[in-house]
Amino acid sequence: MVALWELLGIYTAVFFTLAIYSFLYGENPWYRFAEHAYAGVSVGYSVAFNLRYLRDQWVNKWSLDGTLMILYIIALLFGILWYARFSRNYFFAYRWTLAIVVGTGIGMALKTVIFTQFLAQITAQARIPLFVAGDALQTFSNILMAIMTPSVLLYFWFTGGAREAGPMKIVDRIARYTMMAGFGMAYGNTVLTRYSLFIGRSQFLLGILPNPPEAKNAFYVIAAVILLSMIGWDLLKRQSK
Amino acid sequence: MRSRMSLLEKMQNIDRRYIYLLGWIFVLFPLLNPLGLPVPIGRESRQWKEYIDNIPSDSVIVVSLDYGVSGMPELYPMTVATMHHLWSNSQAKNWQIVVCAFWNQGPLVFDTLLSQINPASAYGVVYGEDWIELGWIPGSETGMNSFAVDMWGQTPTDYLEQRPLSQYPMMENIRTAQDVDLIISFETGTPGLPEWLRQWNTPYGVPIIVGCIGVSVPGMAPYLDSGQLSALMPGLTSSGEYEILINRPGLAVAGLDAVSMSHLLVVLLVVIGNIAFFASRGKGGS
Amino acid sequence: MSDVLRRIEIPLIITALVALIQVIPYYFDFPALQGAANTASDWVLLIVNAAVFVGVISLGQVHMRRVQRRSTHWEYSIVLLVLMVVMAILGFPLEGMGLGLQNEQYQFLFNNVYNPLGSTMYSILAFFITSAAYRAFRARNIDAALILIAGTIVVMSNAPIFTSSAPFLIEWKNWIFDVPNATTMRAVTMGAALGSIALAVRTLMGIERGYLRGGGEE
Repeated sequence: MVALWELLGIYTAVFFTLAIYSFLYGENPWYRFAEHAYAGVSVGYSVAFNLRYLRDQWVNKWSLDGTLMILYIIALLFGILWYARFSRNYFFAYRWTLAIVVGTGIGMALKTVIFTQFLAQITAQARIPLFVAGDALQTFSNILMAIMTPSVLLYFWFTGGAREAGPMKIVDRIARYTMMAGFGMAYGNTVLTRYSLFIGRSQFLLGILPNPPEAKNAFYVIAAVILLSMIGWDLLKRQSK
Repeated sequence: MRSRMSLLEKMQNIDRRYIYLLGWIFVLFPLLNPLGLPVPIGRESRQWKEYIDNIPSDSVIVVSLDYGVSGMPELYPMTVATMHHLWSNSQAKNWQIVVCAFWNQGPLVFDTLLSQINPASAYGVVYGEDWIELGWIPGSETGMNSFAVDMWGQTPTDYLEQRPLSQYPMMENIRTAQDVDLIISFETGTPGLPEWLRQWNTPYGVPIIVGCIGVSVPGMAPYLDSGQLSALMPGLTSSGEYEILINRPGLAVAGLDAVSMSHLLVVLLVVIGNIAFFASRGKGGS
Repeated sequence: MSDVLRRIEIPLIITALVALIQVIPYYFDFPALQGAANTASDWVLLIVNAAVFVGVISLGQVHMRRVQRRSTHWEYSIVLLVLMVVMAILGFPLEGMGLGLQNEQYQFLFNNVYNPLGSTMYSILAFFITSAAYRAFRARNIDAALILIAGTIVVMSNAPIFTSSAPFLIEWKNWIFDVPNATTMRAVTMGAALGSIALAVRTLMGIERGYLRGGGEE
């Protein structure tokens, strides 16, 4: 027998799930309530994680040495400058903190991006053998890749009028067909992801283990209430028109 | 001809709520009445299993949960299956598993896993000797860089017991990226593979395997081809195949019938929609 | 003095300096600079985490204004504000007072409100994709036909109902993944890398200033 508190939690979870899905019928107060609740808790929940990190770092690392203590306090002072963005007079101070964070991020990515996402890819492309003995399909595929990759790159680099020149028209067509096939892959996998998420929620609503079995009854009850209320509201609106 | 035209037009302009209803039916029905459809095994799940089977003895493996609750339906089953695979073999092969997260909900996802599986009783692995959980490391790519340089500095205590890392013998020789032999990352977006490659693979040569959602799969192809990514687990279907390969059917397998029916619905609707479109075009319609 | 502090050059110089602190030690062997870079990146994480209340204040301002003005659906703004504040307070790391991540009410709100809402918000797109597949996915021309064919093959190959009776679909999907998809994404990756390098260099040189906009001045 599930404790009352747990049961309340299950019914709450089912309610919020169905309130979001009620949008499929049309915009309605259940959906609006759930949407605003989501915005509120999603902003509020991360406060716990950030503050805990600051506390743990102070206790376990930055308080252990005088120089580190001073650096920690300076970091907090810069951290307070984040809130200068809400002041028209002191907005300039917010830019200093933003500059530190943006600059660090740029430096982090810049130092290795050329190797990771450029040179490694060029090397991999250059290593594709144009002829594979005994494997006609692989040979054909490799030749296609050798033509397609530069075509797509040129398609991105030369836009507008540059694509009108004779050879570029052919490159343009090859690139477009390549990308269309690639985007088809993206579409197919997007269908998988979205339905996987819906299937996961459905498994919860139907109480399929390891989800709590009590969710199934909650699903039937709350779905009936929400659906009847929306249909009833619809009918009332039509009658009043 | 007129009534046929209007039927074709009606078909193309059907109220979308009927389509939503079909979506509900095609997913709920196989979940309530499992169809037991056979599941062919694809190359990705096979490669994933083989890769893990062939991890050398005495390896240090970092498992990173780079996803939140929104990605759980697709990534949680493969996380559970992979942890089962790792824990089942970790003592025999003397693997040391370090669990961490660069998304703040990652530890909460792992809490859910631990509430369903007790590794000590199920696999005989000892917390602090065979595996440890370090919790969330903030800062996205900057955090990954800091973690690579000084793991103890970013997570001075462990997540589960909140004790200093110096109290865990397994962490004595695990301090930087150079002490790690493999990263297994489950991810839905940023930070993800490109950040891992920039901060761990390129500077330190640490191999990476990734389990990701379907939407991220196309972007993994160039890294897989170049060898920067060693193996890929692309979404729920492959997770189900992997569960079958390791003889541990779970949530992924339970959902595969629904995946089949929902995808059947999509294909049917595309076909019907296009038939109606070409038929109405042929009859001089829109 | 305040005019000097407001100059845009100050944050531009800061951006360039902190970026170079990260980049230079990677290419040149200066142990002292490497140590400084490591400490700097740890230090920056503290600054990032100190922004914890920016979202709370921003959202609070917007919705408190709605409540004050009794704008449309202002009642829901009260729900948002209450939940946001309650969640933030419950999560404060004051374990001695019973607050923090292990607080029962925080766990309740996280597991039974945030968790289902977050998951469901993304899953609802499945219905819109299905509706779009029926209403808009048409083979009007060669380009659309290519997407349609490739997409349908991939959809079918992800479903055991098709692959169990037509295993060749898996091979076709693998080919699409390995050839047109890989070439497209390789070009995108390389193009994006060059673009990010160009953007980074422009930012370091102070030409790109978009991230510093706002505050009613430039």
